[in-house]
Formats: sequence, structure tokens, C-alpha cells
Amino acid sequence: MKGYHDIAGDGGSAILEQVEAQQARIAQSLSGVRSLVAVGSGKGGVGKSTLTMQLACALRARGQAVSILDADLNGPSQARLGGLRDGLLVPGVAGAAVPRTQGGIGVVSMGALVPEPRAVEFESVADGSSHTWWATREFTTLRELLAGMDWGELDYLLVDLPPGVERTAQYAELLGPAAVFVLVAIPSDLARGVVARSVDALDKTPNRVLGYVQNMDGYYCSDCGQVKPLFPTQAEVELSLPCLGRVPFDPELAALCDRGGSLSDSPALPSWQPIQHIAEQLLPTCSEARVGSEERT
Amino acid sequence: MKFLCVSCDEAMKLIRTDPPERGSLTVVYQCPKCASEFAMLTNPYETQVVGSLGVKVDANGGAGESKCPFTGVVQELGAGAAGELDGLSWTPEASSSLLNIPEFARPMAKTGIEKFATERGFAQIDEQVLAEARSFFGM
Repeated sequence: MKGYHDIAGDGGSAILEQVEAQQARIAQSLSGVRSLVAVGSGKGGVGKSTLTMQLACALRARGQAVSILDADLNGPSQARLGGLRDGLLVPGVAGAAVPRTQGGIGVVSMGALVPEPRAVEFESVADGSSHTWWATREFTTLRELLAGMDWGELDYLLVDLPPGVERTAQYAELLGPAAVFVLVAIPSDLARGVVARSVDALDKTPNRVLGYVQNMDGYYCSDCGQVKPLFPTQAEVELSLPCLGRVPFDPELAALCDRGGSLSDSPALPSWQPIQHIAEQLLPTCSEARVGSEERT
Repeated sequence: MKFLCVSCDEAMKLIRTDPPERGSLTVVYQCPKCASEFAMLTNPYETQVVGSLGVKVDANGGAGESKCPFTGVVQELGAGAAGELDGLSWTPEASSSLLNIPEFARPMAKTGIEKFATERGFAQIDEQVLAEARSFFGM
């Protein structure tokens, strides 16, 4: 009697072929992207989204063409950060046109499609079992966004990742080996311990990790103009990565982000200089070869 | 998943998929040699897991329609604006351009464009409205 591998195809539903076709569409859609940078951490609440948007602003200020994909489908924040909460999808030439901030940064975020305070909700025929299929549905949705948007010619596509160590490595698989990673930590061993796990998980992938950003590295006091310690002790957990820069916590930046503003329009804020420094270190990652090209692999 | 007709030792072919009923999908296979048929009846969990891959199970290799995964949200948003959207029409060109939107987001995009057009007093959605929307959002 024949076994599974003796039979070609699956009898007509072509499920594997459909998944492979979608991967091919992603490669085509990203063919104009020169650098794919995933901003992750593993830990939540460390400022990944804020840094992603402000890094995009710094790159844009250097004349780079930049878009952001908000991969956090359940807690999307890039639409608010970019002032695009009422953004909508309109047909473009080779997919859906990418909405842009006033500063010209493309932003694709579920936050523009599902208004606050609604939670993103997937339709299901199997109520009460979302833990069995939700992650699959999320990655499928992200694949559809990667494949279905008209990304065009970009110097950088920044991907704002959700928290989760295992997720960080799974996004490496989703985005492919050309994606480089920037991890975000804060000066607390609690957070750095989780980031260290993400480093370990990413070590098992072919993806390059450029380094980490030490966010909330002190608190900027606008009264005295000094950066004061925000965390009580010196962190002991070592991260075996280059530190790309240290960004202080600044309440004015937090307020700016809530309004959908850009640091490039408020260059006097103390976080602008370190973010520009981090952006400069990303510039060499922008290869002449495109993300999907054979030259990159 | 593949199916084998044990009597004929022949791979069976998918010939028909019936629409889901209470979460169960009926997929009918036939042996090309003896023409015997059998139906695979999925439970809702199986239906959901396969659907979460973004694939369609049909005899056309996935060429059929799939459903928007955000239907619950979209229906609610659409219902709120239903009165305003009455009377809006789409030109065939504008309507077919919606195919450029990722399938899962088409209903949301359609609702959003109709709201945009209504707020600006358009009675018909054509390429001019779409161009205006793209311009408004800096696209």
C-alpha cells in the first residue's frame, strides 16, 4: 500500500502550494526594500515602539525612505505614534497604498484599522479555543500584510515586534535571514534577563543582531537639566551585544508620542541626539542589494 | 493530508467542498479508479486551524473566496455608519481596484473609503475619490 511520500500532491486542495505562493508574493512585495530591521526585545514595556518610530524619524531626517510595519497586531501603537489613527487602506498600484505620517514615514498598523478601544478580534468557528490557532492566524495576517502592501522602493522597513522571546525568534523565521535585529533593553536585570534569552534564541537563527539599545537609561529632569538614575542598582546581567546607544526617559518625549509627534520636529529634547546616534549605526546595514535578492543570501 | 483508496491503492482526488456548517467543513474525495467517494467532516477546531493558515480548501486549489477574519469588528463598524452610506455606489474600476487590498482587510478598507467619500459629499466612489484619499493620507 502506498505511503504519504509515494503520492504527489494532496489530491487537489494545494494547501502547501498556497502557503509557498504567499511566500513568493512576500519576496516580490519586498523586492524594493534595501534593509529590513526588526526592533524587538522579548520584554514588554521597554519602549520598542517609541524607539522604532523615532529611529524612523531620525533615518528620514537623513533623507532615507522609511516605512514601519507594526507587527504587534494585538497591541498596535504605531498608528497613534504616527498620528494615523484614522488611516485607511486605499488601493495602490501593486497592493494597498501605505499611509504616511506628516513627516513622510509609511506606517502599516492594525491600530489604523481597528479603532481604540476595540481589541483585535479574529473571526472563529471554534469559540473558546483561540489558544490553539491564534498565533497561526496572527502570522498569517502578517504574511498577508507583507505580501499585500505596496511597499515600493525603501531604504528601510522597520518592523516593530511584539514582546515574547519565542516570538522574537519566530519573526526571524517569518522575515527571513536578510532581516537584522535591534534589541531594546532597560537598565533592570528583570528586563535584561529576558533580553538575554532573546539573544540566545536569535543565536540559533541565521539573522544578524546589530546590538541593543539601552532605553530609559536614567530620567531626564527638565527642572535641573540633568539625567538622574531611574533604576536603583547597576544592572548585573550582561548582554553579549554591542550597545548601540543609551536613551534617557523623558516625559516630554512620552507626551510627544501620545500626540503622534516626531522628535525631528523637537530637536531640543534630550533623547533626539542619542537616537540620531543609533540611526547612524543603522546606515551601513542599508545594502545596495534588495531584501529578496540572491545577492543578500 | 492525503487520502488513499485502500482497495485500489490509488490517491484520491478532492472533488467538492461544501460551505462550513456550524464550523464543520465537508470535503468530498473520489477515487479516480473505482469512483468511490468519501467525505471528510472536520470539527470546528480543525476547520479553524486550517483557516488560520490563510488557505482555502476547495477543488480549485484555493481559488475560491475566503472570509474576512475580522468580520465581527467590521460588521459593527459598518452598522454604525449604515445610514450615511446608503446610496453610495462604486464604479466597476474602483470596485475591482479593491483587489489590490489584502483580502482580510478589504471589508475594512471598503468601509473606510465609503466613510471618507460620504464625509466629502461624494455619491459615487471612483478613481478620483481613491486618488483624493491617497493624497489625504500622504500615499
